Amino acid sequence: MKFLLKKIPRFVLVLVALMIFGLIRAPFEERVRDEMIEAKLLLPPPAQDTIENLSQSALMATLGGLRSLAALYLSLGAFEHFSNKDWDELRNSYLIITSMEPRDETHWVSVVWHLGINAAANMEIDRNLPMFERKRRFNEYVTEAVALAEKGIAQIPDSAAIRVQLAEVYREKLKDPCATAQTYKDMVGLPGAPGYAIRFYGYFLADCPGKEQEAYDHLMSLYQVEKHRKKGTLPIKIRELEEKLKIPQSERIPPDPRSRRTPSENGKTVLPGGIELR
Amino acid sequence: MSKESAEKEERIAPADRKVPLFSLGRAWIIARGTVTQLIRMKTLYFLLAFALIIVAFGNFSLGGTAAKELSTIKRACFGAMDSFAWMFAIISTALLIPRDQEDRTLYTILSKPVRRMEYLVGKLIGVLVVIGVFLALMFVVTSMILIARQSSFIGDELSAMDQNSRMSQEQRIAQIEFIQRQGFRFELGISAIASFLKAAVIASVTILLSTFASSSLFTIVISLLVFLIGHFHSLANSFYKYHSGDNIIVQMLLKLVKILIPDFQLYAFSEGIVMGGAVIYPLVWQMGLITVGYLVVFLMLSALIFVDKEF
Repeated sequence: MKFLLKKIPRFVLVLVALMIFGLIRAPFEERVRDEMIEAKLLLPPPAQDTIENLSQSALMATLGGLRSLAALYLSLGAFEHFSNKDWDELRNSYLIITSMEPRDETHWVSVVWHLGINAAANMEIDRNLPMFERKRRFNEYVTEAVALAEKGIAQIPDSAAIRVQLAEVYREKLKDPCATAQTYKDMVGLPGAPGYAIRFYGYFLADCPGKEQEAYDHLMSLYQVEKHRKKGTLPIKIRELEEKLKIPQSERIPPDPRSRRTPSENGKTVLPGGIELR
Repeated sequence: MSKESAEKEERIAPADRKVPLFSLGRAWIIARGTVTQLIRMKTLYFLLAFALIIVAFGNFSLGGTAAKELSTIKRACFGAMDSFAWMFAIISTALLIPRDQEDRTLYTILSKPVRRMEYLVGKLIGVLVVIGVFLALMFVVTSMILIARQSSFIGDELSAMDQNSRMSQEQRIAQIEFIQRQGFRFELGISAIASFLKAAVIASVTILLSTFASSSLFTIVISLLVFLIGHFHSLANSFYKYHSGDNIIVQMLLKLVKILIPDFQLYAFSEGIVMGGAVIYPLVWQMGLITVGYLVVFLMLSALIFVDKEF
């Protein structure tokens, strides 16, 4: 040993010892890393496209273990982009934020809301842009919002909040009742899902071409439950479907007493209480 | 020989006395000296700055829901704690040995029957004690802020729900539990421990570097580089594999870096816990073991260089 210490330079010995230690610990660390990723305590390495999009400071922060702080800083920056209606910068910020903290539901909800609702709404009213450009950008933002929501759902499969936001985009901007219905259906039973999701599924399915019968069956099953029956929209939707599907009178739900109108002798409509409609 | 003369002889010939290979007592005395040394460097001002940051974050309304605000405060506070721990570990450790040399304390210590290994262990323990105490204090401050904000948010939420008569008791409980999940949990302490473990590893790396470095600046810069590369492992692997395909030289270089430099990214499990992840204690124990492994190996290697170093 003394011979070795005398003959071989110390830094060479140090390097060799470090390499031996590294070879011993590497498999152990790999296993611990995999277990931590599985337990959602550690994030898997960011995807390639994200690495290329990372700004220098964000990259440094990722390396330096300041992931949370960098995400927070970028979120504040994103809010500024929102205030300035700088939608492309906002999208770029959120692409990095969601890559840094993919398991934070609020980031996904925010980006879907910003792009799918705010940016799209801005494109509907922004007179500074020609109509064609506005339509093109509207489609771009909404499509991106949907794609990001799907990425978020893939990261957090139990997230009801992302689905609520996605449903809003389908409902308000894409006017797609079939996709809206499907999104509400997907969130039923998830932790934190709103109680109305099960009814909204039926309401939007009712407007989806070819799905009327399915919607009618679903809404009728809800109608049997006392707490749902109290909701004003439910009987209205059922009555609409009864008309569309030409359900026999005997099988229809009772008419709404509040909206009952009786024709008077002179042909005018009389509301309950004897008020005549002119 | 009389008893008196024997005692006298023993006093004048200390070199004949056997010095144990390692004494934890002597290392502890050096550690205490290091703690005093660090306190005299006015490191407590770090805590003051941290407290100000926490109080500012705690009282700053960031918008959004109660749960989101709590989550933001929590992430900012624990991020600051983590940054403080590793920065302090690098800078203080890099300064200690050169400072002892400048003050000539090092010569006094090493002229006593103190083994060089004990000196290094003492220095490291001293730094770790200071980091540990600071982290504990920061954790207490953070917890107090979190608990205060959480109870204020819950109060506001309950009064808002009282005004909304349509909310059932179950819905109210679910909302309060949701806020509580983002607030203070005792498991957050494990996150602080993870920051401590990471700081301990980088401190031991810095000790190794400072045993052969010519200046504190060199030690700090190289330690920072090691720290950054240690975080870079997994990211660099995927990045370079993507760009260079199966280039054998790149692969070998990546492997070399991986086995030479500690993997600091592993300690990022603290962020997972802060984000609400469940603590898996066997994994925490394994991380503790890995850290002990790093400390032992880096201290032994530091001693290997330091033992024959001439000042």
